[in-house]
Amino acid sequence: MTVAQPAAQAIDERPARHGMLRYALGKAGGALLSIAMVIVATFFLFRLLPGDPVRALAQGRNMTPEQLDLERHRLGLDKSLPEQFLQFVGQTLRFDLGTSYEYKRPVLDLIGERIGSTLLLTGTALVMAVSLGIWQGARAGWKPGSRFDKFSTAISLVLWSVPTFWLGLLLLMVFAAGVGPIPGIFPTRGIESVDAPDGFGYVLDIAKHMVLPCLTMVAVVYAQYLLVMRSSVLDEVGQDYVTTARAKGLRDDDVRRKHAVPNALLPTVTLVFMRIGFVVGGAVTVEAIFSWPGLGQLFYEAIRVPDFTLMQGTFLLITVSVILMNTLADVVYHLLDPRVRSA
Amino acid sequence: MRKWFAGLAAVVLLAVGTAPAEAAEPGGAKVIRVGATQAMDSMNPFLAVRLVSSSIHRWMYGFLTVPDAKTLQPSPDLAESWTTSPDGLTWTFKIRSAKWSDGQPVTAQDAAWTFTKMMTDDGAKTANGPAVENFASVTANGQDLTIKLKTPQASMLDNPVPIMPKHVWEKVGDIAKYEADSYPAVTSGPYIATEHKKDQYVKLKANPEYWRGAPKIDELQVIFYDNPAAAVVGLKKGDIDLIGRLAPPDFEALKGDDNIVQWNTEGRRATYLQVNHGATTSDNKPIGDGHPALKDPRVRQALHLAIDKQKLVDEVQSGLAKPADGSIVPPMYKDFFWQAEGGAKVSFDAARANKILDDAGYQKGADGIRTMPDGSRKLQFRFSIHTDTPIEDKLAEYLTGWFKDLGITLTTKRLDSSKFTEETGTTALFDLAISGWSVNPDPEEVLATHLCSRRPTASGEGGGTESFYCDPQFEKLYQEQQKELDRTKRAAIIKQMQERLYTDAPVIALYYPNNLEGYRKDRIAGITPIPEDRGMLYGGSSYWPFYTVEAVTADAETDSGSNTGLIIGIAAGVLVLAAAGFFVARRRGGVADERE
Repeated sequence: MTVAQPAAQAIDERPARHGMLRYALGKAGGALLSIAMVIVATFFLFRLLPGDPVRALAQGRNMTPEQLDLERHRLGLDKSLPEQFLQFVGQTLRFDLGTSYEYKRPVLDLIGERIGSTLLLTGTALVMAVSLGIWQGARAGWKPGSRFDKFSTAISLVLWSVPTFWLGLLLLMVFAAGVGPIPGIFPTRGIESVDAPDGFGYVLDIAKHMVLPCLTMVAVVYAQYLLVMRSSVLDEVGQDYVTTARAKGLRDDDVRRKHAVPNALLPTVTLVFMRIGFVVGGAVTVEAIFSWPGLGQLFYEAIRVPDFTLMQGTFLLITVSVILMNTLADVVYHLLDPRVRSA
Repeated sequence: MRKWFAGLAAVVLLAVGTAPAEAAEPGGAKVIRVGATQAMDSMNPFLAVRLVSSSIHRWMYGFLTVPDAKTLQPSPDLAESWTTSPDGLTWTFKIRSAKWSDGQPVTAQDAAWTFTKMMTDDGAKTANGPAVENFASVTANGQDLTIKLKTPQASMLDNPVPIMPKHVWEKVGDIAKYEADSYPAVTSGPYIATEHKKDQYVKLKANPEYWRGAPKIDELQVIFYDNPAAAVVGLKKGDIDLIGRLAPPDFEALKGDDNIVQWNTEGRRATYLQVNHGATTSDNKPIGDGHPALKDPRVRQALHLAIDKQKLVDEVQSGLAKPADGSIVPPMYKDFFWQAEGGAKVSFDAARANKILDDAGYQKGADGIRTMPDGSRKLQFRFSIHTDTPIEDKLAEYLTGWFKDLGITLTTKRLDSSKFTEETGTTALFDLAISGWSVNPDPEEVLATHLCSRRPTASGEGGGTESFYCDPQFEKLYQEQQKELDRTKRAAIIKQMQERLYTDAPVIALYYPNNLEGYRKDRIAGITPIPEDRGMLYGGSSYWPFYTVEAVTADAETDSGSNTGLIIGIAAGVLVLAAAGFFVARRRGGVADERE
């Protein structure tokens, strides 16, 4: 008995571990393949877009033909398509995303300058949305048909279908400008005040600037966590182990918190990971409403110009991070759920 | 999980309550904040192309000349006087003895270095290359700057190039990559840039060494908004003191605020239709697929007659524009503006338009649509507009209606800006298209867009044309005005050019949109527009308004913001304590339950 137990364990675990490694490697390979395809697709996608970027840049400005040619040469647009493609792939593999047409600076530098503020905003919003969504979803699913459930479902459906731009502007007009008895307390734009104080005051200043954009993002994305969590808790409610726990005389809240919720968390966790990929892309709309100096704003600017290298670079970054996070989501799901592992 | 909720509420409310009020001013300095709906593309004047960037550079650097505040005629700036040789090819400017903000003297060497750099370095050509295109050589001798031209150029005094300090900039390696981000900048204009946070703001300090004397305020801040609606909220709230370049709906949103002055003046733009009247390349070969009927001047005239410009102004521009009875130079430029009068004036007259088409043999078919005199094609035109501009959509609706009454079908074609520029400027795949230019105090540049040489080559290279226009008469007038250094005589020629455009109608001017701005009168005590009699504040080619701006003294302000902050701060504190108390109580109860 004392000998057999470790042996049995070894037999149980070894193939599982190998399986896990093989699974992760397979997923990583798949991700690399996807990234390669995305690189190729990005190049051709942005070449398929109509229009001559140099001329678009010259719009509204007096440019001589020589100047246009010069600009074309400088951007490497006078080379043949295959040449441009090889150059693009070579550069991308060296993490060089080219030079922005409009800013005349490396795209990677421009991204680097803005990625921090995007991560701050979307990261905070994601944490809040996930927490709120899971909490509210679990309570709603636990007592389906209750007033709380009806209220939660209704509100999440409304927020899910509200256009982000509209909601953001509404919040801006009410809470930044002030309406009636509500004073305008939040800033209208940006990540910091022009004359922001130093030290802790600076942190508070940023926090104040984050409130409205964060609220907009949370309102728009938290509904999906709520709905997924609600339905998976709903699945657990009728399960035998829940009945057993209740029969043991445990408090209802404890049965929910300690038994049902952990089991119901799986699909939500996957959703969270998949969503992290989009965090890098930020919220183009939210950043544009609140002049938040992040990646979304950069992408929005790039589209407005249009600045093809900048669009290409940010697009590539966003797609690659989505692929990486999806892969991670698969692997984490695999780790968390033994049923998937053994299958 | 309730803990999360309480925590969230606490963080949010704490942030609100304790952060300092935005309007607080450091040390009672007089600060004016300008909102801009565009961020700087570059602080390097050789590279920056956006309007906001060139405005800020106008406030920072000296130019050879500056438009006079009253007449908009070129007046001395860094060049205190100038002479021209009789053949118009040699210009000598006397540079004034001013100082750079680091104390060094300004000399003709600085100007010569700036222009020569642009002539010899491809990177330095990026922003203002065409300005030195016609320069043969630039030399300096003490305070005298001599520019030799290849051909006479009357617009020489509207030179858009800021003069840079040679002793600072000659150390820059690659101009094309230089960000010019060391502060304070060395400048010779009214302001010195002291700080720039990308996409956030630029701070400009008054230059005490400025040759006209320091501005009346201490600091000018330019604050960037991505979203005009947010900027309007910012103005109402007092985050910014002035905002320019507003669209009619945003301008109307300022109505009814006692603290805000709505500044509605004549603008520097014209909105017009481009007509594909038979596009050709620069070697005179037909290009594109424009409708053949538009080659007929009578059809173009009929279209012009069918447009009710007053209605467009009222309905599309909310009345905030002036109907165009002229061409591409707006009435704001009094010296150069030309307006049709008497019999030459085209006024809305649908009956006459119909008659012209009837007489010209474009008969209406059974479906009410006209056909070409030879019956080959129906008069069905496309109208190219931009995808993202609601105002153009509205305009298209009106035109479609009027042209339908004329027996002409108009279909709207929405294009993104890069496709739009390609189709209307290179490939000529359009019939009618929307267009418009901002005009400088010297209209040479916008007139040049109608030159034969601006048409693209057969391979689609070059260009910068408006309607692919190429007309010997217009061309001759253009050359004449370039040689004419007498302003009055030159203006007369420029008016003839506009008359030619009006009667030949390769473009049909619709209206001149007003320049819409707003500022807070509780913050700005005085500001002189350019031109002085109800001109523009922001976006004109002059530092004048921001040199003359005066702030309301700080002690006259009320201090309501910080009180609100305090009240909310206290409320937040109470709420957080209550939430914490509630949570602790619940937690105790929970633990007790489990113990049992």
